Amino acid sequence: MTDSALTVLLVDDNEMIRDCVTAYLEDEGFTVYSYATAEEALELIAAINPSVCISDMRLPGMHGEEFILKAQINSPLTRYLLHTGMLYTLSDELRAIGMTDGDIFLKPLHDLSKLVQKITQIAAVRGGQ
Amino acid sequence: MVQKATETFFKSESRYRMLVENSCDIIFSLDFEGRFVYVSPAWKNILGHELSEVVGHNFREFVDPEDIPRCEDAFMAVIRSNAMQEMTYRVQHADGSWRRHTTRVNRHRDENGVKTIFGTTHDVTERFLFEELISRTEKMAMISGMAAGMAHEINNPLGAILQHAQNIERRVSADIPANVQAAAEVGVNLDLVRAYMQKRGILDFISHIRSAGMKASEIITNMLQFSRRSDAGAEYVNLSTFLDKVLELAGSDYDMKKKYGFRRIELQRLYAADLPPILLSVSGMEQVLLNILSNAAQALADGEPSQQPRIIVRTRLAKGMALIDIEDNGPGIDEQTRRRIFEPFFTTKKIGVGTGLGLSVAYEIVTKGHRGMIAVRSKPGKGSCFTIKLPLQETA
Repeated sequence: MTDSALTVLLVDDNEMIRDCVTAYLEDEGFTVYSYATAEEALELIAAINPSVCISDMRLPGMHGEEFILKAQINSPLTRYLLHTGMLYTLSDELRAIGMTDGDIFLKPLHDLSKLVQKITQIAAVRGGQ
Repeated sequence: MVQKATETFFKSESRYRMLVENSCDIIFSLDFEGRFVYVSPAWKNILGHELSEVVGHNFREFVDPEDIPRCEDAFMAVIRSNAMQEMTYRVQHADGSWRRHTTRVNRHRDENGVKTIFGTTHDVTERFLFEELISRTEKMAMISGMAAGMAHEINNPLGAILQHAQNIERRVSADIPANVQAAAEVGVNLDLVRAYMQKRGILDFISHIRSAGMKASEIITNMLQFSRRSDAGAEYVNLSTFLDKVLELAGSDYDMKKKYGFRRIELQRLYAADLPPILLSVSGMEQVLLNILSNAAQALADGEPSQQPRIIVRTRLAKGMALIDIEDNGPGIDEQTRRRIFEPFFTTKKIGVGTGLGLSVAYEIVTKGHRGMIAVRSKPGKGSCFTIKLPLQETA
């Protein structure tokens, strides 16, 4: 049984990035579920009920934005973050579900501690509830 | 009969003279030494000299020294082979400015056997400048697209390199309980593993991978500026206040202070009082100005030590545009550098010192992000002046 406050779901089609981020987050004590496609993640997100979901933007099937909008219906308590290589302005739909510019992390992240800082903040709020 | 023929001859000679003297192009003849025997009045219209200042003088007095060999080659060829030659070269106007001329020359032998070179000259300065502008714009667009594409492709592997290096550093640290546990499971002491890595320089190697990766990432971030529309976060600013803030930023920058002695530089602020608020992307324009200031400071650091280094920051209004001049009294920029100064990856700095991206990003930010213009004037030995022109917005 994992503490869902410390659970993170990661979607990125790049295996190296998945491995990196997973390793880092695990070292920080998080449980990480990682998927290469939005479709897989979408099937499982409700059951996992993570505190935080980190998604890439350019994914092979479903686009990151569409994924987040759908995932948010399945797992409304989850906070969503974007980890993307593209300079990106948040759409109105994503703003409507509460995302802000501070939720976008541009690749390459030199230092994953910034991402962890954000996740820790979110997890603390969720853990406190 | 003879009188009739003579009359006809004079009539036709005056007609020829009329044609030559009213030609818009310059018609001339030279002796084999290169001295003008005749020039048509168009010379005065195009180049400003009195004809008496030209006839009897050598063409070498007017042509850019760099282009003289090209002209000499063409003259030699026409003398040898009598085949028409064409050349384009720079020639100095009476007011000191340079014009670009295309000339076709041929050889003539008169009835007494005296040989001359004759030619017609067309002024192609405007066309040349226009073509240069078009080719520069096309080149910039092409390189920008390529740079942005490359940056995107490199981003993911670069991110992986940086993050994996970070993970390696962390996984040999005794601060993370999972590391200690895993080490115990395989029966090694983590402190000893770490000591070994330290002794063999492995930890340094990893940290070098990280710092080199960071440097590459900085370049990539700059390259991505090409595809970025910097209109996000545009706001109306008072240009004088804004420039004061940028100068303060420049003064507190580490490199500017330590490497280029920014504090030593005398700053003159000549701000126009009548400027309306200007719509700017504050961070974008900051980047542009800091880049120009840092280049100026570097140039001044390399300049004549006896001279008080000075930067003038001037604002003015002209033709519906707000102008910002940044002028230094450094060693200046030669013409070849000046022409390529806004090209991506063009740098005069040593390998590893500059990326050649600073001013090309500045160019993109000013032209694409602000629909403005940026240009540089310079006289070697006298300093350089960058001018940014920004359109004035109609405020409601």
